[in-house]
Amino acid sequence: MEIAAIQTHGLTRRFGALTAVEDVTLSVEQGQFFGFLGPNGAGKSTTIKMLTGLLEPSAGTIEILGQPFGAGALDIKRQIGVVPEGMALLGRLTATEYLRFVGRMYGLDIETTRRRTEELLEFMQLANENKKLVTDFSHGMQKKLALAAAVIHGPKVLFLDEPFEGVDAIAAGMLKSMLQGMINRGATIFLTTHVLEIVERLCSHVAIISKGRLVANGSIEALRSGVASTLPGEEQEQRLTLEEIFLSIVGAGGEQEPTQELSWLA
Amino acid sequence: MAGLTASGPTGSRDSRATQSDGGILGDRARSQYSALTDLRWHMFINGIRSNHGVFELGARAFSYVIYGCMGLGLGALMGGGSYLLISHDQWKYLPAVFWVMFLIWQVVPIALASFQEQFDLGILLRFPVKFGSFFLLYIVFGLVDISTILGVLCCTGVWIGITWVRPDLFAWTTLALFVFAIFNILTVRAIFAWIDRWLAQRKTREIVGALFLVAVLSLQLFNPALRQSRHNAPRNGRQQVENYRRMGTEIQPWLQRASQVERWLPPGLAARILRRAAEQQPGLATGSSGLLALYVLAAGGVLAARLKAEYRGENLGQAPRRKTADPARGKKAAIQNKVDLRYLPSRPGSSSPIAAVIEKEIRSLLRTLPLLYAVGAPLVLVLVFSGVFIRGGGPQGHVFSFALPLCMIYAQLGFTQVFYNNLGAEGAGIQLYFLSPTPIKTVMFAKNLLHSLMFGIVALTAAVLTGLRLGTPDATVAIATAAWLLFALPCNLAAGNVFSIKMPYRVNPGRISRQRGSQANALLSLLIQLGIISVGATVFAICSLTEKLWLAIPIFLVLAAIATFVWTRVLNNTDQMANGRRDLLIATLMKTE
Repeated sequence: MEIAAIQTHGLTRRFGALTAVEDVTLSVEQGQFFGFLGPNGAGKSTTIKMLTGLLEPSAGTIEILGQPFGAGALDIKRQIGVVPEGMALLGRLTATEYLRFVGRMYGLDIETTRRRTEELLEFMQLANENKKLVTDFSHGMQKKLALAAAVIHGPKVLFLDEPFEGVDAIAAGMLKSMLQGMINRGATIFLTTHVLEIVERLCSHVAIISKGRLVANGSIEALRSGVASTLPGEEQEQRLTLEEIFLSIVGAGGEQEPTQELSWLA
Repeated sequence: MAGLTASGPTGSRDSRATQSDGGILGDRARSQYSALTDLRWHMFINGIRSNHGVFELGARAFSYVIYGCMGLGLGALMGGGSYLLISHDQWKYLPAVFWVMFLIWQVVPIALASFQEQFDLGILLRFPVKFGSFFLLYIVFGLVDISTILGVLCCTGVWIGITWVRPDLFAWTTLALFVFAIFNILTVRAIFAWIDRWLAQRKTREIVGALFLVAVLSLQLFNPALRQSRHNAPRNGRQQVENYRRMGTEIQPWLQRASQVERWLPPGLAARILRRAAEQQPGLATGSSGLLALYVLAAGGVLAARLKAEYRGENLGQAPRRKTADPARGKKAAIQNKVDLRYLPSRPGSSSPIAAVIEKEIRSLLRTLPLLYAVGAPLVLVLVFSGVFIRGGGPQGHVFSFALPLCMIYAQLGFTQVFYNNLGAEGAGIQLYFLSPTPIKTVMFAKNLLHSLMFGIVALTAAVLTGLRLGTPDATVAIATAAWLLFALPCNLAAGNVFSIKMPYRVNPGRISRQRGSQANALLSLLIQLGIISVGATVFAICSLTEKLWLAIPIFLVLAAIATFVWTRVLNNTDQMANGRRDLLIATLMKTE
């Protein structure tokens, strides 16, 4: 049996009295493009922070590529790449300087770092912005740079927290093809985004978290048939979109229906 | 329809809900001030929910007590000075009092910029706030900063001193000091606003940097001149007196010229209002008041010009330039998509993360003028003020034996922020240190290494400057000072690493003003530095009194060995400390207000 790329058991995180993530157990196989969905405040970012070592779990275990993962697990950190919520950029450097810094922090030799930096900047269409400091980049450019930094060391598992936010359509298309290429070469990608169309197009498996608890987990097809089976007779034949699946699952969790109308809005 | 449709606001209610537009004191503006006050209040209350917040509040309260005491002391000094001058009818020297107040008001905020927490009003720009209100709030928020506290207490002292001798000048003194205070408040804000503007863009940042370096070099050019004058100085007392008389005659025309200019500048004008009023010349006093008021308007105008640009949503960053279509670009883009991003497996350890961190720190440092200023400014002051260590009146006097260690103490003060908040400028980049396979210990070690090197360079420069200014120091004192520095450095590094992890605060490297400081960090780091200085002073004092100054060297070396051991222990625990507090560390350094 192949080792799972990501495996959690009873993952929990409490902030004082608030339980942000509760008893999350999931498994992501190697080579999967995994979508992690949930409404705002559901616990997605908290989960991804725990999975990448940015936040210590209150309870539960995490295994990455079969090895227990904690803040001190440096060998595992070499094998994962992350675009975190805050992008982890250093504003007083140029894009080239930043990528070279990141490459060396991940233990790449100077020549490899230099070559990959050039390739990535070309690929991300940032090569012409070389004199500009990162702090002066637009949000979309910063996202592209953060993604470049996340892959410079050739990670086996990639965690992406809202990677397409603020990225223009052309760049997004480019990034999607790059990510798909990584999947084809055996990498695993764990993606959180609010853009369900992207998840539907790219991901083979999804998990949905709501109010800190995992409420669905499986392949999109399995979720589709699961939700369809709860619908009345003729509606079962319709092919549900991921948005409909998502709303059906999260809505069933007791979310308030948007029945109010803000009549004072123009 | 349920909910807001039935019970919600109707159109007529909406029109009532919109407040009238009545200038900076209209309904809407007052409502906005009230909302902002509420916001500050809630931020304050929320800030003290945690133990750290309570500690921070305590530290702030304590520091305000210290500033208050400083202000009272300065106020008493200014008041006493004014009292003596007026009672002896020495009106011509009164401008000196106003010039001192002016310098305190303008220079102190620059020296203490990193210790003050300031509220960035940029967040207001998204709301329909009138420019007048924006300007007013910019002035009002921050009125309790250190410079204003010191300045207002100095003004109060002067007011008491003058009205004590001349109660008849009550109204004129009040008027002059009030207008002078407003001028200072507006000027200091204008200076900071413009410095922030210049530091925000690469070109202007480089120009400001170059001017700063030119200023430093210019000051250093004073040195040979001073030294020359010292070597040519007369040897006996009579010749000395004669020399002073000659110097007095030489500089008299210069002083007269300076006085001609000075009287048209704000401190001179403020003093002139009082002098004319005392001479029963209300017309001339009113004229001087008018001129001073014009300066107030000018300072307000300069500040308003800057704030107007901010108010219009000026982007201080270098926004991407719109690019023209490039026929070669399409071809290039096609090539880009063919770039092969399949990477070979990493080769851990083949490139040193220590070198990477040092390189990154140097690059960031060279682009951070406020930090360069903090480190470099004490050197300038060492050069300028080391003259006070020459005893016995004038250039020929005897040099104080411990001038070198005292100059060293001063030179190292610029490193407070560098040592004690060494992660502060990382911002969101702090996440990278936790994500990468490089231990935090390595990162801290690299930073410590670079900071030690900088410390060494600054100490060496300070020693050279002191030597040039005061002559070659005694060898024992010089070696003992070096040994003390070897003790002080690991102490600062060890404590600094702990503080940087446990009490960090975010620093915007491109700004001098509107920073979020940490009073707790500032106060405790100051206490530790005082402790290190006290240890040095005690050892020097004991060894000097027992006439065995050489003994200070082994004592400091032993202390340095102990301090180095402590530093290595702290360094070894860095990962544990940082990982235990990583969420707080990340949240603090990524805080955007």
